[in-house]
Amino acid sequence: MAAVTLKNVVKRFGVFEIVHGANIDVNDGEFVVFVGPSGCGKSTLLRMIAGLEDISGGEIAIGGKVVNNIEPADRGIAMVFQSYALYPHMSVEQNLSFGLRMNGNPKADTERRVKRASEILRIAELMKRRPRQLSGGQRQRVAIGRAIVREPQVFLFDEPLSNLDAELRVQMRVEISRLHKELGVTMIYVTHDQTEAMTLADRIVVLNAGNIEQIGAPLDLYDDPANRFVAGFVGSPKMNFMAAKVVGNDEGAAIVALANHCGAKLRKPLSGAPPAVGAEIVLGVRPEHFFEAGEGDCDIAVKADVAEHLGSVSYVYANAGPEELIIEREASRQRANGDQMVVSIKAGRSLLFDKSGARIR
Amino acid sequence: MRYQNATAYRFLAPYLLIFSIFWLWPIISSFLISFQATRTVPWRFAPTFNWGRLIGDPAFFNALKNTLLILVIQVPVMITLAIVMAVLLNSPLLKARGLFRFAFFAPVVVGEVAYSAVFRLMFNLDYGIINKLLNSVGLPRIDWFSNVTPAMAVIMIAVTWRWAGYNAIILLAGLQSIPQDVYEAATLDRVSKLKQFFYITLPLLKPIIVFCAVLSIIGTMQLFTEPFLITERGGPGGGTETLGLLLYRQGFRSLNFGYASAIAYTMAGLAIAISLVQLWLTRDPK
Repeated sequence: MAAVTLKNVVKRFGVFEIVHGANIDVNDGEFVVFVGPSGCGKSTLLRMIAGLEDISGGEIAIGGKVVNNIEPADRGIAMVFQSYALYPHMSVEQNLSFGLRMNGNPKADTERRVKRASEILRIAELMKRRPRQLSGGQRQRVAIGRAIVREPQVFLFDEPLSNLDAELRVQMRVEISRLHKELGVTMIYVTHDQTEAMTLADRIVVLNAGNIEQIGAPLDLYDDPANRFVAGFVGSPKMNFMAAKVVGNDEGAAIVALANHCGAKLRKPLSGAPPAVGAEIVLGVRPEHFFEAGEGDCDIAVKADVAEHLGSVSYVYANAGPEELIIEREASRQRANGDQMVVSIKAGRSLLFDKSGARIR
Repeated sequence: MRYQNATAYRFLAPYLLIFSIFWLWPIISSFLISFQATRTVPWRFAPTFNWGRLIGDPAFFNALKNTLLILVIQVPVMITLAIVMAVLLNSPLLKARGLFRFAFFAPVVVGEVAYSAVFRLMFNLDYGIINKLLNSVGLPRIDWFSNVTPAMAVIMIAVTWRWAGYNAIILLAGLQSIPQDVYEAATLDRVSKLKQFFYITLPLLKPIIVFCAVLSIIGTMQLFTEPFLITERGGPGGGTETLGLLLYRQGFRSLNFGYASAIAYTMAGLAIAISLVQLWLTRDPK
């Protein structure tokens, strides 16, 4: 087991800087998820930790040892690839043991490790099959098994579930979580799926365009996002953003008028200095934080276009002028076909962001 | 449905007509001719005339021996060379990849007569650059075209030069279809580059190698241009005569179409048989 430390890590491809000075401390035995949209640099960061990409600047340490110039095989890591990267011409057993056999590992030890991995992942009955004879989920298990036999200090997962169907993804998510508990090893996991990040991680690193936007426990990011990007990225369905304007200040609170809701006003207490009167800002409200009319601090009228009934909850896709809003309703059976509806916002259940996207606290 | 089929066949009709006249009929006709005595007019049906001659004809066995010798030596050498070239072409360290790719492929598009003439000049006893090079390193010059072994070597070198690059390009396509992350996984498994080549690249490239080998076997079985032009009609003294050349000699110089047809069918049969054996030997274990 080992901690992983990234200090001012930079990655450039030619003149293009992809990762702009990343600082991350992954504790020993921790499960950290790098999450962000496509092209944000999360996979590049993972590949730099693995040693598959050179580091253009900064320092990466695994178990307290700087590994910038250490070969991938000597870093004590094992990686699970998005495409599984299984050797297609080898059986499952050969796939698991290939690395050990090539390095002259004693036969008995190789067999012991392969047996252990096959038991942990419940793939013992597949050992003689070729990858093409396996389902997606089974292939992924074998790929994880290949990582386990290396007995690494750190597991790296590069979007391992993105090629699986929804049901299998949930199943494998649970498996990976169970594996982490069973092995107690440091795991770094890359995904663009915030649900995977929320369900698996001890801590999440949110990346955007090569920058780290926020690092924190899943619910901390959900409840207290540092900026509009994190607020929008974490949570499904995503947070609603409404154009607003500061129309007054009142004893450490900002009086906010919603631009597209006929001057509906909200008094939002702040811990810092309120923005100047007249400042254009954005009000963020999660879908589940719309209340029945009159229950909140400010009512707004919207037109419900479409309703998605998921059983326990429904999502109403509504609009108010140019703004699209997603409103969660519990146990609603109502159709939405252009009906007007009134919902209420609570100041304590909304967030303010300035025009640059920074949080106003 | 039936109407649609009829329409489709009407569109196919011109092709089918041309195919039948210029392909299908000659194939059937030559098979029938192989059972006829064609040395005298009128031709007459004599099932054992040509096939019987084939079994006892020293010229046929000489050509068969020469063809198989080229096949056994030249094809493996060329395929090995093509694999090496393909791996080099695939190297990320290589600059001007497009230029090399073109250079390797270029021999295929060079006219056969021109390339044969150049090879004859290069291996010329008195003025050829090859003998000059041999002399310059203190080796005696070789009379390439007067002795069977060197003449055979020239043919093998020429065929290899012409087709190795072509095979390398096919193999390169195969190499590029091997996913990069398989190599990355092997790198993380501490598998050296050399072991990666033998344990990952070669096994994954096997279907393409077999494909190239089968193409080369078929090509070698039909080998004609090189022994015809470079070693002057299979010289010296029939020492480089191949089945293709024997077929030409019998069919178009002696106008013995029956015997030539029997040779043609033997060549095709051998090519199919050798290719099937090759496919069987390199099949994927169940």
